[in-house]
Amino acid sequence: MANDKSSMQLVVNGILSENPIFRLALSMCPAVGISTTVMNGVMLGIAVLFVQVFSSVTISIFKNLIHPRIRIPTYTLTIATWVTVIDLVLAALLPDAYAKMGIFVKLIVAFAIITMRLEMFACKESVKDSFWDGLGMGLGFMVGMVVIGFVRELLGSGAVLGYDVLGFKPLLFFILPCAGFFVVGLMMAFFNWIELYYKRSKG
Amino acid sequence: MKDIITIIIRLTVSCMLAATVIGVTFIFTSNAKKHNEHAKEQQVMLELLGYKGDVAVPDSISMHEIYRYIISGQDSQSIGYLVPTGHGENNGFFFVNIDLNGKLIGSKRVDISEENSRDAEIRDIAMAEAAGSGFVVDFADQTIVVTDSGSRIAYLLGGKFQGFKTFINVMLAVDPEFEMVGLEILEHEEDPGLGAEIEQDYFKNQFKGKPFEVLKTIDVVKKPIPAEYLDALNSRVSEEDILKLRSQYRDQDIYALTGATISSKAVSNGVKNIVKKFAYRVTILDNVLKEQQLAVSF
Repeated sequence: MANDKSSMQLVVNGILSENPIFRLALSMCPAVGISTTVMNGVMLGIAVLFVQVFSSVTISIFKNLIHPRIRIPTYTLTIATWVTVIDLVLAALLPDAYAKMGIFVKLIVAFAIITMRLEMFACKESVKDSFWDGLGMGLGFMVGMVVIGFVRELLGSGAVLGYDVLGFKPLLFFILPCAGFFVVGLMMAFFNWIELYYKRSKG
Repeated sequence: MKDIITIIIRLTVSCMLAATVIGVTFIFTSNAKKHNEHAKEQQVMLELLGYKGDVAVPDSISMHEIYRYIISGQDSQSIGYLVPTGHGENNGFFFVNIDLNGKLIGSKRVDISEENSRDAEIRDIAMAEAAGSGFVVDFADQTIVVTDSGSRIAYLLGGKFQGFKTFINVMLAVDPEFEMVGLEILEHEEDPGLGAEIEQDYFKNQFKGKPFEVLKTIDVVKKPIPAEYLDALNSRVSEEDILKLRSQYRDQDIYALTGATISSKAVSNGVKNIVKKFAYRVTILDNVLKEQQLAVSF
């Protein structure tokens, strides 16, 4: 089942037309729970990016050896392995950042987007394509987290990347988890609107 | 049947592969991780004592670790302390066993080095040996006595208490009269923007300079922080003014954080309990050490 998309298209596909958060509506839990600041988004995005790329490549390499009836356990095992590796490496190399997001890194195991990409893409396609697809999906997730984090941090704490830009806190409500749903919902509407607009202007 | 056997074999092999990858990573990173944790702890301790940034630590300052264990036998409970006898060559520890009424049960030398005493496993084994058979030892906490050329200048106390969501892990420094020198929040999971503000200077610094009498009954008030005091807490005014305002507000309760009264209360109660209990324990320990003429390093 060869893929007819170029590597560039695969990456762009993950960021825009199949953005994990805004278009596929997967991994909403971290999108809502953790995206209170831009920095959280960047950090978790990087971690997810690595896990997604490594897992996609691993599964793609071993795709012919995986017994079809135990696909899902194998995916989970692969993801868990890479998450643990990333977790250990982060704790050793970036102790300050790890102190803030350590608990979220372990949660990546349960992110729907990674399992879904392994099932839909990596287990059928070549290693190269899987790598680019993983990269695109990881970047797409990161972009989504950063955008939501930006809105929530700006409106909730009046700051961007920890720097106070507004000087006051417009709406404390945006810090709370429930506001994450509102922001994600509005963003989805915005993405859909752009798509509609784009299609209409095209034809 | 054949299917099941292949599944079993493949899953086992994948698990083993995964375990190998994780194991190798662990071997490569565990030392760095331990080192980081220790370095961070050291840094927090020094910052609490006021050695921040360019201020170097003088040579006359030394730190002595005291470990407290709860020793439980068949029908009795007592507190076991591991106190250092010295640094460098003549190091070693005394095991001091004190009953709940503050009477000495027994003391003996424990020969473990300072380096080994930091390793929880080795220390636990040494403690269990010292306590004798039939007793169970449980690690309770660790206190650090800071001395400047022989005389005590501060105690560093660690502690953990329930916050709004999960535990809040703190380290605090008190001087020999149990006046607050500083507070640092090491770990917490409060809500960002609300309870997480406990790690901000304007909250932590409120505890600085509070005498023991005030700490014993400290509580929170739901009022906004006066503007001049807020500036002082955020270190926006000169050193002199900070000290002046600190003494002006020293008998004042802690101003609760907006929207996070429970977190604020948890911290002030936690700090109160840690200091109160420590003050009680250290007096008993000092009495016993004095009576028994045990030569300890602090």
